Amino acid sequence: MLLSRVAERLYWAARYLERAEGTARIVREHSNVIVDLPLTIPPNWDNLLGITGGREGFDERYDAGDEVSIVSFLVADPLNPGSVYSSIGHARENLRTCRDILPAQAWNAVNDLYLAAVRGAADGIQRRHRSRFLEKVIAEHQRLLGILTTTMSRDEAYTMLRLGRHIERGDMVTRVLDVRAGLLLGERPERAELYDDLQWSSVLRCLSALQMYNRRSASGDGAAEVIRFILGEYTFPRSVAYCLAGVQASARELPRSESVMAACRAALAELSASDPAMLLDADELHNKADRLQILIGSISDRITGAYFGHTAWPS
Amino acid sequence: MADLRTLPLLWDELVDAHGNPRPAAAALVERLRSLDIEELQQRQGLAEVDILALGITFTVYHDGQGTDRAWPMDIVPRVIGASEWAQIERGLKQRLTALNRFIDDVYHDRRIVADGVFPDELLQGSVNLRTECVGMSPKFGVWAHICGSDLVRDADGVVYVLEDNLRVPSGASYLLQNRAISKRAFADLFELQSILPVDDYTDQLRRLLVSLASDELQGVRYPQVVVLTPGVYNSAYFEHAFLAQQMGVPLVEGADLFVDTSDRVWMRTIDGPKPVDVIYRRLDDQFLDPEVFRKDSHLGVPGVMRAWHAGNVAIANAPGAGVADDKVVYAWAPDFIRYYLDEEPLLPNVPTYRCLYADELAYVIEHARELVLKPANESGGYGLTIGSVATEDQLDAAIEAIKADPRNWVAQPILQLSTAPTLCAGELAPRHVDLRPFVLSGHETYVTMGGLTRVALVDGSLVVNSSQGGGSKDTWVVEDS
Repeated sequence: MLLSRVAERLYWAARYLERAEGTARIVREHSNVIVDLPLTIPPNWDNLLGITGGREGFDERYDAGDEVSIVSFLVADPLNPGSVYSSIGHARENLRTCRDILPAQAWNAVNDLYLAAVRGAADGIQRRHRSRFLEKVIAEHQRLLGILTTTMSRDEAYTMLRLGRHIERGDMVTRVLDVRAGLLLGERPERAELYDDLQWSSVLRCLSALQMYNRRSASGDGAAEVIRFILGEYTFPRSVAYCLAGVQASARELPRSESVMAACRAALAELSASDPAMLLDADELHNKADRLQILIGSISDRITGAYFGHTAWPS
Repeated sequence: MADLRTLPLLWDELVDAHGNPRPAAAALVERLRSLDIEELQQRQGLAEVDILALGITFTVYHDGQGTDRAWPMDIVPRVIGASEWAQIERGLKQRLTALNRFIDDVYHDRRIVADGVFPDELLQGSVNLRTECVGMSPKFGVWAHICGSDLVRDADGVVYVLEDNLRVPSGASYLLQNRAISKRAFADLFELQSILPVDDYTDQLRRLLVSLASDELQGVRYPQVVVLTPGVYNSAYFEHAFLAQQMGVPLVEGADLFVDTSDRVWMRTIDGPKPVDVIYRRLDDQFLDPEVFRKDSHLGVPGVMRAWHAGNVAIANAPGAGVADDKVVYAWAPDFIRYYLDEEPLLPNVPTYRCLYADELAYVIEHARELVLKPANESGGYGLTIGSVATEDQLDAAIEAIKADPRNWVAQPILQLSTAPTLCAGELAPRHVDLRPFVLSGHETYVTMGGLTRVALVDGSLVVNSSQGGGSKDTWVVEDS
């Protein structure tokens, strides 16, 4: 038995937490790779806004798209609803009202994560403290997931968390691919291709996918293989295919899930519809990512319609 | 080495006037005296970290804004001997039995009024009397299923009942959490002596709530219990969530429930509507059902009173139970015990002047400086005037209010609340305490082991309410050796 209201809050809490971790990973990795690039290639911080969304909010309140402004916006800005800081706060607010179903330890972990964000977010802007702070956010979220995985019954509440996590991660992966890979495939500064390996690695690194990619594709080289891996590698938990399969498996366990399952099938079909080699074109890749995002959005809409609708019953 | 100061002429819970430990507190006092104040402060600091990490909070309202604060707890426990506690427990059971009989009588024949023991005019003017409840017969004849009574000890060592909270008393979760924290802070002492456990409260509460379900469910389904909260902005939300979690029942808000045309209560789940049989409600009567009480309440459940009337749902505490939770009605509690049970009260009331009566009113006005003036229906320590510390203007204002509405005022002598050593500004200083045990009434009556000790953290202050800067302590009921 799961209340609709609680289901909705769990789902969104999981999305916010996953967003916080995803953003932390991206900012951390970008900070690392920037250091290795030669001065002739201007560090592009702006693309991070493309991945995480919220460019309008940024333009309203910041004058320049420099490193400090963008990192502040993404990590510590309480007025940016998608910042690491805000996402953790929203997640906590949602979970505050679900404490009766979470394992007690999980709520402690949420609080630890929140306290880490409150105390460390401002420091996280400076390069010197940044990776320490972002590591902390990632590690605390991983601890929370560990607690949920090992102490929470596989009931409907757990399923809602899992749904939210996979939807958000799947969405995030398509955005990273769209923006970062798009940059590499589009028009670029002279001699930038010398650093292509480094840059493609960084796309994988943003998704914490490099090591697994190397193991899986020892012979694989080049952009097409990276794109294939990120989109279609079912065995890798941060690929779009894995996330969608996770959504589908979760939905299967819920009552009245036909419409959600249908939306999952549509998204999976889109995923396997094209050859990765065809996507080695910035526009093609962008269109693909766009379609996937729309399909993932429609899965989320159907989840909302099936389970969170407060008007579905007589009152 | 920590020094245990006491205040002259006051009763201290841990040491007597000569500085000797009270028998039940011997082990604790010995330990306190063996520790440096720095060590104690360190343990206090660790406890505060635990409280933050566990997210034990309460919400304070100021200018319409709710702020979450960490629960204030002093690690030095308050100790009560088991034999003294057994007396208090008997007294509370007796008192709650009589109070429930009174409520039931009020909503039926009002024998107590007919017999001239209780004045009818008090019922006529009661803001907590619910005419909608007349004639209702909740199971076991019990209306106030969960009660938090406030006990205080005066300078003479006598324990008095200060008030009975029969509507939606808070604090049981903090009692349990305080124990969890103090087990860590003084782990060594739990091994040395028998400190009686408090942890069965939530089991007892669940059993009670399940027992309230309609008998018609027997053999049909296990009763579905829910905790109904006004929501996350309520000052006791932490407690609502904690109790629901510990009992393993859903924590619902008003909008999660609805009542259908055949007066049955349902909750909205991802798998459609599911029936609800027992509601442990943590909101006041006025907000419970906009069809019957406040029309503007968005917190309640429209139609829930219909369902209750039809016998389709049990509500704890029952609507209308607050009629006995009134600082004026309080004055008659000893009479209820004599009238309904034909027994002498085991726990005394604080002597109470009832402004309803002209002679008592005259006394109150004349001796206002020596009295605490209390309006009938405020809680959380609000609205009361302490004669000895009030300014001239404050006192005049209170007396004017009393003259305008004498039925709604009582006055009591200013008690010299007992103290307990409390870690304040680098020393163990005596601070005033009270005690709120929780009493569960159903087929049988259960009293928590000890209760929630509240402590006034400000030197000399008598106000222990957490909403007004009070703190808390764990309460140890220790087996007498």
